Amino acid sequence: MHKLVVEGVTKRYGKFVAVNNVSFEAQPGRILGLLGPNGAGKTTSIRMITYITIPDEGRVMYGAEEVGPRSQEHMGYLPEERGLYKKMKVGEQLMYFAELKGMPRAKAKEQIRYWLDRFGALEWVGKVTNELSKGMQQKIQFIATILHNPSLLILDEPFGGLDPINAELLQDVIMELKDEGRTILFASHRMEQVEQLCDDICLISRGEIVVKGALTDIKKQFGKNTILMDFEGSDAFLDTLEQSGAVRIGSRSTRYAELNLQGLTTPKQVLEVAMPVVNNITRFELVEPPMREIFVTAVTKQQGEQAIPTV
Amino acid sequence: MKRVKTRWFVFTTLLGPIVMVAFFTIIGIVTAKSLQTTEKTIAVVDQTERLASDVVDTSGTFTFQLSSEPEDSLKASVLAGDLSGYLILPQGIIEGEAAARYYSTEGGGISNFSGDLRAVVRDAVRLRRLEDQAVDKDVFDIINANVSLDSIQLSDEGEEQGSTAAYAIVGGIMGFLIYITMLVYGSVVMQGVIEEKTSRVVEVIVSSVRPFQLLMGKVLGIGAMGLVQMSFWAGLIAAGTMFSGAIVSMIINPADLNLPDTASQAEVLQAVDFTIPQLAPEVFVWFVLFFIMGYLLYATLFAGIGSSVEQQQDAQSLMLPVMMPIIVSIIFLQAVIEAPNSPLSVGLSLFPFTAPIPMVVRIAMIDVPLWQILLSFSLLVGAFLGAVWVSSRIYRIGILSYGKKPSLKELIRWMRYA
Repeated sequence: MHKLVVEGVTKRYGKFVAVNNVSFEAQPGRILGLLGPNGAGKTTSIRMITYITIPDEGRVMYGAEEVGPRSQEHMGYLPEERGLYKKMKVGEQLMYFAELKGMPRAKAKEQIRYWLDRFGALEWVGKVTNELSKGMQQKIQFIATILHNPSLLILDEPFGGLDPINAELLQDVIMELKDEGRTILFASHRMEQVEQLCDDICLISRGEIVVKGALTDIKKQFGKNTILMDFEGSDAFLDTLEQSGAVRIGSRSTRYAELNLQGLTTPKQVLEVAMPVVNNITRFELVEPPMREIFVTAVTKQQGEQAIPTV
Repeated sequence: MKRVKTRWFVFTTLLGPIVMVAFFTIIGIVTAKSLQTTEKTIAVVDQTERLASDVVDTSGTFTFQLSSEPEDSLKASVLAGDLSGYLILPQGIIEGEAAARYYSTEGGGISNFSGDLRAVVRDAVRLRRLEDQAVDKDVFDIINANVSLDSIQLSDEGEEQGSTAAYAIVGGIMGFLIYITMLVYGSVVMQGVIEEKTSRVVEVIVSSVRPFQLLMGKVLGIGAMGLVQMSFWAGLIAAGTMFSGAIVSMIINPADLNLPDTASQAEVLQAVDFTIPQLAPEVFVWFVLFFIMGYLLYATLFAGIGSSVEQQQDAQSLMLPVMMPIIVSIIFLQAVIEAPNSPLSVGLSLFPFTAPIPMVVRIAMIDVPLWQILLSFSLLVGAFLGAVWVSSRIYRIGILSYGKKPSLKELIRWMRYA
């Protein structure tokens, strides 16, 4: 099992710089979350790691070698968009991908059975891909990615279209693969999953790295600046607080709010505003910011206030 | 490689020959039928009273009945179907002052019928005219003796008898076959590329193999599939023509063709002009070579185009410049067949993008100088390598680019990316 190292990589398309001098590492037995708003350069970075495109400057190393046909053999890539032949049967399709990676037929057959069984999909072998639902196709795609037992996994939005039960199943499998010491790169916009899965984070915006490091370290850096609060009664105080610039509201419902303290605002000040108007407060907790908050803060800071990306 | 398995492939491969056999059989039957028209009974009204004795049929197609009935009753018999028609030989026909008239329910002759009838009347009239000038019948026979023209093709191997028309037809068929396969298999390649691109499979695949390998694999794979399909057909056509020959000879009674009942199949087929010209083996070798290269050239270009679009419709405008040379070579196919050695024909068969079709036509028809064939073939190979270079560069970028359809200018820019 090797380390994946991206060293000072730059990629241009004409005059547009898609990725600018980006460096990061993914360690075996850990999951690196590659994050960033749409168009930040995630896909471009992934394509260079998968050796689909070649960087203009810098290099991508897997172990002692630069990525290339040899690293491709040990790599499993799950692209963001489902990529399956629509009119092919599930079994044939998986066999085709396995053979593409140079697996012997018998071994591939055994692996296909094992993984289909694992995902409760054995009875789909003879089905044409088109007949399957989006979530089912996602599972097949994931199986196609890991069939050849890759030591480097690149998973771009692997949870797309999965229901909570299947998402959990997939999450278990990913954790298992990680515990076996594989190097995993995980790209997603779903911050709860990033939080649950990732050990390390690399956040890109506009082709440059804005935050990187171990998830726990990053959280510590930001400090405990977020209030989670459950309440009953009017939520008008939230607007008052936000308009005064004391807090930024991450997410809210009629009974729940996530408040990010701005500047020198203290929890006490928030409580003082809330107390007179709400009927009751059932939770008031000061915590480290959730990943979502870190994402928004870092990207907003880099891009300026005008462009708040949709997460 | 995945395509070979599809039902469509098996279906067309197996069904193709059946359709072909049916096709050849139908052609054979139709040809035979048109020659085998049922005997016609024709009433002859001889107003000159000198011609009737010589209005005799020699071909076995007509039965002439001398008649003195009035025209009205003849007309009624024709309309009732008792007579095929009636022929009026008016006064003055011998002197060239009047024309013979033939009345029937059928319009003008689609078949050789009216020609045959005219010949009968003409011969009778001429005979009388010569008699009037007191010319001996022997002289008439001499004049009438058949003058035939045998077309003999000169080749290095010596004289080779055969009709150029047959070679032109074979050449034309070969040219057309190349045309159709270039288009059909070329667009199969293009569709495959578009399908892989829109279904995003390509992203998974290029994370395992180089785009160039994928491109060439696709072109060669479908090419091999095409070749398997074509050779399977070719084998069956050979068998099929024999088979359809058997069917034709079963349907046609040898007696109808004035052949003895014991006539062999070959004799029957020859009698209905159902012959297959013999071709030199080199012709086939060159045909296959030009066929393969032509396919490779265009399939590669089509793959490049396919990679740059997301829908078949978007490909149309980009396909036009690529299609032009093929269309040109088909438009001029006739001209090439008529004058296989004209500068136009030579030019078209040397220019790589139009070469496959006219060159094969020329090779089938005449002895094309070897240097021309070799030059044309090398240019074609060169063009193919150029197409691979251009297409692989477009392909590499194209398969991963989504969104708006690129213009030609953008495609040229893609080519320049390192």
